[in-house]
Amino acid sequence: MRKTFQELILKLSEFWAREGCVLQQPLDLEVGAGTMHPDTFLRVLGPEPWRVAYVQPSRRPADGRYGDNPFRLGKHHQFQVILKPSPLDVQRLYVRSLEAIGLDLTKHDLRFEEDNWEAPTLGAWGVGWQVMLDGMEITQFTYFQQAGGLELKPISAEITYGLERLTMFLSLSRNIYEIEWVEGLAYGQVRHQEEVELSKYYFELADVTFLQQQFEGYEREAGRCLEAGLVLPAYECALKCSHSFNVLDARGAVSVTERVALMKRVRDLAVGCAKAYVESREKLGFPLLQKEEAVEVADVR
Amino acid sequence: MSGEYLLEVRSEEIPARMLEPGVRELATRVFEELMARGLGPSEVETGYSPRRLVLILNGVPEREPDREEQVLGPPVSAAFAPDGSPKPALAGFAKKVGLEPDQISRVKTDKGEYLAAVKKTEGRPSKEVLAEIVPRILGGISWAKTMRWGSGEGPWVRPVHGIVSLLDGEVVPFDLFGIPAGDQTVGHPTLTPEPFRVRSVEDYRKELAARSLEVRPAERRRVLLETMKSRAEALGGRLVEDGPLLDKLAALCEVPGVMEGGFHEDFLELPAEVLATSLRDHQSALTVESPNGDHQLMPYFLTVMDRPDDPIGRTRSGNEWVVAARLADARFFYGEDRRAGLAHRAEQLERLTFQVRLGSYADKTSRLVALATTICDMLGCEASQAAAAVRLLKVDLATEMVKEFTSLQGIMGGIYAREEGQPEEVWQAVYDQYMPASMEDRIPRGRIGQVVGLADRMDTLVGIFGLGLIPTGSKDPFGLRRAAQGAVRIALEGGLPLDLEEIAARAAVLYSDRLTRSAEQILEDLRPFLHDRLRYVLGLAGYAYDEIEAALSTGVASLPDLKARVAALHQVREDANFLTVVLAAKRIVNILKDAPEEQLDEQFLTQPAERDLYTAFQGLRSEVEEAAAAGDYERCLRRIADLAPVLDRFFVDVLVMDPDPRVKANRIALLQAIHRTVSRTARLTEVVVDKAEARSRAGG
Repeated sequence: MRKTFQELILKLSEFWAREGCVLQQPLDLEVGAGTMHPDTFLRVLGPEPWRVAYVQPSRRPADGRYGDNPFRLGKHHQFQVILKPSPLDVQRLYVRSLEAIGLDLTKHDLRFEEDNWEAPTLGAWGVGWQVMLDGMEITQFTYFQQAGGLELKPISAEITYGLERLTMFLSLSRNIYEIEWVEGLAYGQVRHQEEVELSKYYFELADVTFLQQQFEGYEREAGRCLEAGLVLPAYECALKCSHSFNVLDARGAVSVTERVALMKRVRDLAVGCAKAYVESREKLGFPLLQKEEAVEVADVR
Repeated sequence: MSGEYLLEVRSEEIPARMLEPGVRELATRVFEELMARGLGPSEVETGYSPRRLVLILNGVPEREPDREEQVLGPPVSAAFAPDGSPKPALAGFAKKVGLEPDQISRVKTDKGEYLAAVKKTEGRPSKEVLAEIVPRILGGISWAKTMRWGSGEGPWVRPVHGIVSLLDGEVVPFDLFGIPAGDQTVGHPTLTPEPFRVRSVEDYRKELAARSLEVRPAERRRVLLETMKSRAEALGGRLVEDGPLLDKLAALCEVPGVMEGGFHEDFLELPAEVLATSLRDHQSALTVESPNGDHQLMPYFLTVMDRPDDPIGRTRSGNEWVVAARLADARFFYGEDRRAGLAHRAEQLERLTFQVRLGSYADKTSRLVALATTICDMLGCEASQAAAAVRLLKVDLATEMVKEFTSLQGIMGGIYAREEGQPEEVWQAVYDQYMPASMEDRIPRGRIGQVVGLADRMDTLVGIFGLGLIPTGSKDPFGLRRAAQGAVRIALEGGLPLDLEEIAARAAVLYSDRLTRSAEQILEDLRPFLHDRLRYVLGLAGYAYDEIEAALSTGVASLPDLKARVAALHQVREDANFLTVVLAAKRIVNILKDAPEEQLDEQFLTQPAERDLYTAFQGLRSEVEEAAAAGDYERCLRRIADLAPVLDRFFVDVLVMDPDPRVKANRIALLQAIHRTVSRTARLTEVVVDKAEARSRAGG
């Protein structure tokens, strides 16, 4: 069973596209997880149905290891799926997606172990599992309960595959950099230099004053956008703040007390955007709702 | 078999920790509600797997018992005219209760004669009752955490997928979150996913067995444990049992399969504690040790898989892959930590916050050096080793290993200290510093470990109390109850003759101006807090409440001494003479209540009974004092008990309140002297005496 990184992306994309998902592209900003993509974070709000799948390069500056650690990366890739409302057979769909990438589940041990997800900076939490395949965590499976401080209805199911880990698992490779991106070309050949240089930048070179200014600047800008009723630009600014914070953190420039305060500021922005997004969609008449669903909106909200 | 009810609720995977309480609540509430309706079953059986809750009842009566109740109607005067002819009220009442007017009877009450009818309510079939109560009880289970799904269904622990609800083979219909109850279920989601029909409990058990599904958690646990033991033996070793982990594993599968894996022997260079913690925390795996009793681990691990076998070996290789990655991480941390050395890590304590207002762990360390030294001085032991242990005490908080495995704090520092060649007393003190972590846990091994553990806890207690952050109710974020309990147990069981209040006062001084409250204010709150822990610990040791109170009342200058006094009281309290003295002591306290301190003058001892009491008291006083000074409190109390006959006679023959003020003052002085002596060990008035029992014993 020789599986490449990109074959996994192709197979998963194909599977979820068939299930009616919008095959979206990664957000062109630095984010820590696929959840922060507006097509997840904002779309799960309000009554409109939504199905989407995409790859999201996810940056966690503090996890960088200069390309030395065979298991850890400062930037990894998530395959993210949102099904809203969560269909009753979502677990079955997920199992079929594993079959679609070539796993014969009658020969493996698949278990769902409790793992509840919480993102304080997004005012979001959910209930779910880490999915263990033969003892290895390959997916985070979450039913969103709240985002941006708002109770959700309908509920979205979020399925997040860790693409590098899954590829490593399928090829039983002991080194991320040795998995194949495409046949004949290793992951390390594509990304190693990036890991080395980004680690060096985030840990050693990043200008703390500049990052602090960037945080403040984007925070102001987000506020201005919100005042002008521009939700999506405001949210992008909030994501910029979040990334600046992550880099400051990796740089060791955030004390324990500052940490709490900065996280609260990011959270306030996220909550503000969430609220404004629902209002903006309401103004548009929740366009993705079917006619008969639209009638029920009053109940839903 | 009749009255057999089978309930199986299938859902997505319910968290292991919630299964047992959930199913217990389900069974209890169904049982109670059935009992309340006269439908109590003769047997109740429960089961669960991550995907099923199972309740089996046997001997459910077919229907509720019929009930008869008397319904009162209007007064007879309103229903019949004086001439005896019926008024419309009679017909109205008859209609209301569904009877003919001539079936209506009369009853006499305090307020006169009324119409009455016996209303019969036919008991409902149990099927109908179950259909009503089961969905309500299921929906109301108080899960630790609930969720919603789909368009807002719930709240429940996880989405519900199917329900089997059968009473003697017939479906008891209801629905839960839109899922109708029926007679169909499914097997294992990937191995035997096809639906199948269930006709009876017996049938259900057979069908489950045919699919290797086991819904009884105790049976899964048994199978897992037996299999693991025999696998360990086959590997030439012995399973290191871990009860809580086995419970968890049994709740993670419905097919109890054992996954056996191995890791490279090179990893055995890691300390056994690290290996076991990594395997337990990351892979929920148990370890195997060599059978010769040296606790040397072998390069194998055992965990669960939710399937009977591993047909292509991928489950094993997958688990081994993860374990190898985790152990490689652990080895990396171990190497980094050893390369850096504890001395280097110690510098990082400056940046590690103990508590925002109480400063860093470096600050705590300097306080602890002084406090441990003070305690050593109190104990008259050499302080240099304790100071050395304190300097290393918290250093492991800055190590990579403890950052990864917080449960290894203390242990890791101890291991590193040992490897750096620290003396046994020192590294063991670091290793044992968080002991006792529970009532079952032991206290630190050596004297140095006990001193250091005590100092650490007292510093924390005084610091947090000094900020006014006193635990209330269930809120105890700093774990102060456990800290206080640890301090008390270390002093008690370590036999350390220490005054915790004195240590607390010293600890407060060491905080200098960081605290918002004075040492006196802190002690005001800390004293009762420590006493509560003492009561708890001594209570668990089998001493009665009043014995503890009596001993506490005379002070807690040394905990082992306090314990010796409680133990002595416990020994002598059954002695009839002692009980007489206790009763006398209560009487003496009453008499002395407002009396000023008086001087005794032998010449005023006028009556024989008081002279006898004086002589007897003089005779045993020095012996009592000696015994008390020697800590032989039992002898002390038994000698005091010898006063019983003369005390008894004194109170019969002598009136303390003599008209002659000099005689009266003299008697009071005698009682004051006696009271001081008998209270040497404990305030006897706190001892609860059943008077009738005391008299009968004295008589017998």
